[in-house]
This record gives sequence, C-alpha cells and structure tokens, in this order.
Amino acid sequence: MFLDVRGEICPYPMKKAMEAMQSLPEGEELEVLVDHPPAIDTIRMAAVRLGFAMTVEAAGSGEWRIRLRRQAQEVSSR
Amino acid sequence: MIEGIPRRLRVHPQTAAGLALLAGLSAVVAVVSRTDGQFGIFAVLGVGFGMALQRSRFCINSAFRDLIQFRSGRTMKGVIVGMAVATVGFGLHMYTLMPNPWLGPVAPEAHAVPLSAALVIGGVLFGTGMVLAGGCTSGSLYRMGEGYVASWVSLGGILVGLVLVSHSWNWWWDRVIRPAPVVWFPRTLGYGGAVLLTLGLLLAAYLLVLWVESPGGSVGDVPPPAGARTFPEAVRALAEAVVGRGWPATVGGAVLGGLNVLSYTAHMPWRIVGELSRWANAAAGLVGLAPPALEGVDELSACALTVGGGVLTHGLLLNAGLVAGSLTASLLAREFKVRIPRAPARYVQSLGGGVLMGYGAGLALGCTVGAFFSAIPSLALNGWVFAASLALGAWAGVRLLEKIP
Repeated sequence: MFLDVRGEICPYPMKKAMEAMQSLPEGEELEVLVDHPPAIDTIRMAAVRLGFAMTVEAAGSGEWRIRLRRQAQEVSSR
Repeated sequence: MIEGIPRRLRVHPQTAAGLALLAGLSAVVAVVSRTDGQFGIFAVLGVGFGMALQRSRFCINSAFRDLIQFRSGRTMKGVIVGMAVATVGFGLHMYTLMPNPWLGPVAPEAHAVPLSAALVIGGVLFGTGMVLAGGCTSGSLYRMGEGYVASWVSLGGILVGLVLVSHSWNWWWDRVIRPAPVVWFPRTLGYGGAVLLTLGLLLAAYLLVLWVESPGGSVGDVPPPAGARTFPEAVRALAEAVVGRGWPATVGGAVLGGLNVLSYTAHMPWRIVGELSRWANAAAGLVGLAPPALEGVDELSACALTVGGGVLTHGLLLNAGLVAGSLTASLLAREFKVRIPRAPARYVQSLGGGVLMGYGAGLALGCTVGAFFSAIPSLALNGWVFAASLALGAWAGVRLLEKIP
C-alpha cells in the first residue's frame, strides 16, 4: 500500500499513516512518502504504539520514504 | 555535469547554497554592527534562534497539540527544559537590573503584564488558531525559511489579525486590560523565592506531561550507535549530529532557553509579535487602514502592539534573522524544499488560524514566545495563565481539526 502525504504538515501525515496502518491488509507493507521532517518522529511513535516496524530512507532533498510492516505478523510467520 | 570531479570532493548544491548564505549573513551582521553594536548582536541572535528552531523542529503548537491529541510529550518536555534554563538566567539578569524587586513596578523589559480577561481570551484564540494553522508564530516563521508555502499564508493571516486587534485595542485597554493587576513573583517572594517557585511549577508541569503520556507509552529518541571509531569518523559523526540529523527536542529547548537569556542580557527577551504588528500597521496605513493612536502601549512591556518607529529595530533583526537562520540550517541539512499543500482546505486553515493568532496575540500582549516562553522565565503569573488558556484553545482546535479531513 502506498500513501503520499507530501505537502501535508502535522498532524495530517501521522493521522493518515495511522489510519492506513489500521486498515492495512495482513502481510502487506505500507510505504509513506513525506516531506515534513517532524512527521518522521510522529509516525515512528504511532508505529511503535500500533506494533509496526519502521525504516526511513532519504528520497531526494527534503523527502523521505517510510516503510512500515506489522511486527506481530513477522513474529508469527517465523 | 560534474562527472570530472572526484566523488568525495563534490558538494551538494544545498550545502553550497547554505555555506554561501552563511557568508552573506556574516556580511550583513558586519554592516548592521556599524550602525549600533546591539544590532549586530540581535542579527546573530535572530539567526541563532532560526537555526535552533529548524534543527530541533521546535514547535510550541505541536507541544500542546501532540499532548492533547496523541498523549505525546516529546516537544513539551523540550519547551519546559528551555523555560527552566531561561528562568535561572532571567532571574540573575533581573537582579542586576533591579536589585530591590519590591521598589519598582517590574524589572525593565520583563514580560509581566496585567492578568485580565483579555489574556485568557487571547490565549484561547491563539491556541485554537495555531492548531488550525499547524504552527504558532515562531513555528510559522521558521517554516517559511524551510520552504513551506502554507506558513507564508499563516503569516499573512497573523498580520491581518494584528491590524484588526489594533483597531479595537483602545476599547480592550480601557475596559479590560488597564484595570487588571500585574502579578510578578519577585515583588513578594524576592528573586530567589520566585526562581524556586517557577522551577517547582515547571517540575510539576514536567511530571504532568509524564502522567499524561504514560498510558500511551512514550517513545524516546534513538540512541546513536556506539563502538570504536577513528578521529575522522568521530568528527563526521559530530557534524552529522549538529547539521545533518535533527536535534532532540530537549537539546533544542535548552539552546533556545540559553539564547533567550543572551537576548535579555543584551537588551530584551525573545519576542516576535510586537514587531510583526509594526509591519502590519505600516502596511495597513499604506491602504488607508491605519489604526488610531494606541493608548497605554508605552506603559506595557512584552509584545505590546506597535505603530511607527525606524526601519531597523531589534525586533526586525530577530524576526528576519530567524527566517534566514532557518533557511540556512535547512539548506545545510539538505532539507530545503518548496512544499505546496494540495488540499485547498489547508490554505483556508492557515489564513483563518493566522487571523485568530494575530488577534489573540494582540490581546494577550504576545504569542507562544512573548507571552509564554519568555513570560514564565520573567517570573510572572501571566505566563502560566496564558499557558492554561493556550491549552484550552488547543483542545478546541484539535476538536475542530478532527472534522477537517
């Protein structure tokens, strides 16, 4: 699943990422594209609370690609 | 296009622009220093505030909103740390300015203002406005430097709000603000007692933040990787921590609190809105909407509304330096980007929230900086009343925001 929240500022990137994480089908990965640096911290917090593992990589100047994967899913599939 | 240059010698275009801007700002500081020694200091302080705000993404709006909406206290902890640092510094400086606090009204330039209904109404309006707009005044100014188009719209709204409040100021002053008392702790407790009381209240506020966020589970900053490293690796890691990665909120808060102490020691605490109202009223005058003569503003410290004055002021250097400092820091971190909201509602939110902030800041004699971040360390009760009103307004703003997709 892909979510583009570029141009949005807090709290919208985190709110939308949270909604997407909650509705994410089992086993699927959520990819979020952000250009608002504080959203990396707020989405990380939401990921921890919802049990998602998160990685961040720079995607050009002032843009970041965040990948979120359900942790419980990974544990049970092992 | 730069294939001929060895990879390790290439400089990112944003880094190059950031370094060039830094050199340009140094030249500006050198020029304004020749007009008045304090102007040079305030230009440097403005740039410093902007850099520290950008590096730590210090946003007093999100400090309140995240605590209310998401039970997250990360930013609020930084705000509290910053005010604790400034409380000690302000106390020492006010002691040197006025050793006997029970003799005069309040220490010169301290942000102690009347405790009136206007302070509460202003705080509620400001709190609602900042949540709707997605940033307070300092937040909007530093984001303007980072390339956020919506923040420029917010500033426009703030200026409109300041013109509106300037036109109704004399009524508020006469009926509401002038009769109200000023409660400045050193007058009854002495400086030592007032500093201890303020630090105690800040500790209580910190514990309150921990209590609010504990059911949700707090998420700390990720610790840096440890292990042996060579000297060049250690230097690179230092540079990365200062200009590359963002600073933790508490580091940003402590740096901003320290800069605030320097600012007061040089002349006045950090303030934003008084100067913005000067720009707003000058612009209103150009289209025939100049406000009437403002009563009582000469008796007030903090961020009282302003009309007229020379071109170059301390406030201009602080505000313009802040935007320039944030732009420089964002370029050096390679984070600058023109960010354009796609949802039309965001522009309405920025403008409307800005107008509420401008009107509220005029009534409360300051914004989240002047009436809060500089007022609590001024050892004045009005800082705490404004904080509570901000929280109430932010709560209302969060309820409104939940209805806007």
